[in-house]
Amino acid sequence: MFQADVGKATVEVLERLGCEIDFPMGQVCCGQPAYNSGYVKESKEAMKKMIATFENAEVVVTPSGSCATMFKEYQHIFHDDPIWRPRAERLAAKTYELTEFIVNVMKVEDVGAKLNGVATYHPSCHMTRLLGVKDAPMTLLQNVEGLRFEPLPNAHNCCGFGGTFSVKMGNISEQMVDEKVDSTERTGADFLIGADGGCLMNIGGRIERRGKKVRVMHIAEVLNSR
Amino acid sequence: MIHYRDSFLNNVARQLGRSPNTSVKPERSWQFRPQDKTLTDRNQDELLTVLRDQCRLIHTELIETTSSKLSEVLEATVTLYGGGPISIWQDERFTEFGLDTLVNETWPARYVEVNEWRAERGRENIAQAERANIGITFSDITLAESGTVVLFAGGGKGRSVSLLPRNYIALVPKSTIVPRMTQAAQEISRRVQAGETISSCINFITGPSNSADIEMNLVVGVHGPVKAAYIVIEDR
Amino acid sequence: MAMKIGEGKFKENVNKNIEDTFMRGAVASAQERLRTRRLDAAEELGNWEEWRSHGEEIRQHVLNNLDYYLHELAENLQKRGGHVFFAETADEANRYISEVVKANGGKKILKAKSMVTEEIGLNGVLEEEGCEVIETDLGEYILQLDEHDPPSHLVAPALHKNKEQIRDVFTQKLDYKMTSKPEELALYAREKLRQEFLSADIGITGCNFAIAESGSVGLVTNEGNAGLVSDLPKTQVVVMGMERIVPTFEEFEVLVGLLTRSAVGQKLTSYITTLSGPREEGDADGPEEFHLVIVDNGRSKILGTEFQSVLQCIRCAACINVCPVYRHIGGHSYNSIYPGPIGAVLTPLLGGYDDFKDLPYASTLCAACTDACPVKIPLHELLHKHRQVIVEREGRAPVSEKLAMKAFGLGAASNPMYAAGSKMAAAMMKPFTKNDRISNGPGPLKAWTEIREFPAPNRERFRDWFKQHEKGGGEQ
Repeated sequence: MFQADVGKATVEVLERLGCEIDFPMGQVCCGQPAYNSGYVKESKEAMKKMIATFENAEVVVTPSGSCATMFKEYQHIFHDDPIWRPRAERLAAKTYELTEFIVNVMKVEDVGAKLNGVATYHPSCHMTRLLGVKDAPMTLLQNVEGLRFEPLPNAHNCCGFGGTFSVKMGNISEQMVDEKVDSTERTGADFLIGADGGCLMNIGGRIERRGKKVRVMHIAEVLNSR
Repeated sequence: MIHYRDSFLNNVARQLGRSPNTSVKPERSWQFRPQDKTLTDRNQDELLTVLRDQCRLIHTELIETTSSKLSEVLEATVTLYGGGPISIWQDERFTEFGLDTLVNETWPARYVEVNEWRAERGRENIAQAERANIGITFSDITLAESGTVVLFAGGGKGRSVSLLPRNYIALVPKSTIVPRMTQAAQEISRRVQAGETISSCINFITGPSNSADIEMNLVVGVHGPVKAAYIVIEDR
Repeated sequence: MAMKIGEGKFKENVNKNIEDTFMRGAVASAQERLRTRRLDAAEELGNWEEWRSHGEEIRQHVLNNLDYYLHELAENLQKRGGHVFFAETADEANRYISEVVKANGGKKILKAKSMVTEEIGLNGVLEEEGCEVIETDLGEYILQLDEHDPPSHLVAPALHKNKEQIRDVFTQKLDYKMTSKPEELALYAREKLRQEFLSADIGITGCNFAIAESGSVGLVTNEGNAGLVSDLPKTQVVVMGMERIVPTFEEFEVLVGLLTRSAVGQKLTSYITTLSGPREEGDADGPEEFHLVIVDNGRSKILGTEFQSVLQCIRCAACINVCPVYRHIGGHSYNSIYPGPIGAVLTPLLGGYDDFKDLPYASTLCAACTDACPVKIPLHELLHKHRQVIVEREGRAPVSEKLAMKAFGLGAASNPMYAAGSKMAAAMMKPFTKNDRISNGPGPLKAWTEIREFPAPNRERFRDWFKQHEKGGGEQ
């Protein structure tokens, strides 16, 4: 992804918790955009590259529920491949989404972050439904000093990103993201927080286009706030 | 008559990638059986509590009585629902539960029209049920969880008695109460497997008829009864 | 009307329907109510996941042994004096039913709501034969009165209409003179339909689940109309999709419970009826003649394929009630009587990609449908499979997209190209960038920026920052 700030925040938060971080320069995109559009063959090359790149890591952490889900999906995609399937299974077993890693693996619930204001949280679909990470983000967010939460109405509804859906079915996507923006605005929150770059780029882009005041933040940036 | 079964099933089997099987019963070995532990630990009194609570949710009045007071309570309920004409099953349980005097003497003496379903009268039964203000039947099996009465129709037990009248009263012997539909289904299946001929129409009735087809607003009483009451009878 | 309900293209339908603010309001509020009711009903039952798994295993078992159970069903129904007709096509089913109607001198036909009869276009066929066909489900009745407006939802077919619209239809067609209160409308329909029930010649119903062990069909309603349709006319015809069957009453009970809780949040609906052939000797109501028509109409082609699990569907519409796409475009946009996620999977399989290849893309793959399905159909995965088939087997993807994805394959997989891409991005986007935002992007960004801003690639790349950061030993 092109969002350097999220990457930096992720590294800094994890280092503060005592992790040693490597960012293998050989990594590429996880392949999801092409895969979800039906281009399975094309996306497999990217997947193999990612499997090989992360093969020697102890654990793999990504600040995206959707990418983490994709990493865990590889084993199914290479189901019939005797060479890549076991490698994909090993990758799946050590891959974590950022908040899941902090709460469930490092057993940390308070990272010592501070941020003043009112926030609302958008649970991304892939992270909650497919990856099954439902509570970890709020566990961490509730311990951020100075932050108060307002529930997001109809939080369970998708924001309308859906990868290529956002451009292929632009008019539907627009209605979906508008509802999300309206719901966000109704909470009166200063910050809309999420844990997936795709959703945030979509909602944030629409918020700016409509000239709304809410600031969109990735959870890594919130956890890195002092 | 069965038409075109073989070619149809041959095609199904071909799609499934095997030769047709019409003779070897497939083995059913379920990994999950949540129904075995749903409400199965409740005794009869606890089940009655479950039924009572459920009736509140399904717009159904639940009246509790004993067999000695049944006649009185039924008479009062009928009056409350506006009296006759009444349509009832031809069912020996009316006699067993001491309702003969009410049905054959008290009501007629008060000009309350009572029509018992008599198969030999044919479609006249339907016309009577259609005119009836109240339909009354016994419940064969009663499901506590959902507040459902199960009726096995046939012969003097016309299907229409519970469906055509404007109001419906089910007489529920307490011993007919089971936890949920699971137990009714098991009983029916047991009878089928034992080679019995089951009723050609079994109705599972849960309160009055209703619809939410207009703006998701619940409207009670669409094609079937507008009101329903269950009278639970402590056993004799 | 058959499965396909209009000629418009998907995108045209969407453009039209997203302007329909009433419809969208009605759908959104219905979704919220139905979703909450379903969740409450599931929670109250407890161990919902176990129930879903049991539902799934029953449905899979049935599909894998469909020939056995259909054979058993027909055998047992015949023993009870019923007739069974196996129809491979819609045409065969319609022809048989027309013959039954003619042989019985049927003029007035009553129907209880049935999706499969909509799918095969039965009403149109019977009307052409000069029969009067009356839908008795309140929602279907409203649609029929309103010049055969198609259903927009599997369970609540008139979901897209408001009560004022319904009142106007009643006023025009039935000389109705009262208000738009749902109670008054419903009671008026009750009076009107009561007369029809008593004078009809033939009753036609669908079948929620047939029960093989006893040759029975099970009907689930709240209004009680299916009961009346089967009680009063002398001849009954039941039409079932061939996969809607269970081995015994025990599995029937499990699936009925999953259906009613998932569809409307009720433990059981008001009327659940099992019919095992015609009336017995000595009965004064119930049909004298009983026909069961088992319809394939493209279903068998799905068996044994990667799409087989879609046949597990019990038509509860839980997936529709949670779909964020359906929420905004409504049922009619799908051009099929099967809308929403289940429709987007099933319709192209039954109706082909020529007319329906857009549907699998009408999803963000958010998986809300999969999560809601009481028999665990992996709906979002099946939508994805459709896309794969469209791209790889059918070769129907647009050329520009194919080229872009090919480039993705080459670019994303090769690290130097990917890294170079990210390096060049900022420079390439510079002419379009203002205050770190792209509002009017080129190429693939155009469609994105028609709706939203795009964050300009950071000038300092993460990769470069990280290299620096590593050199500094993690110090800031």
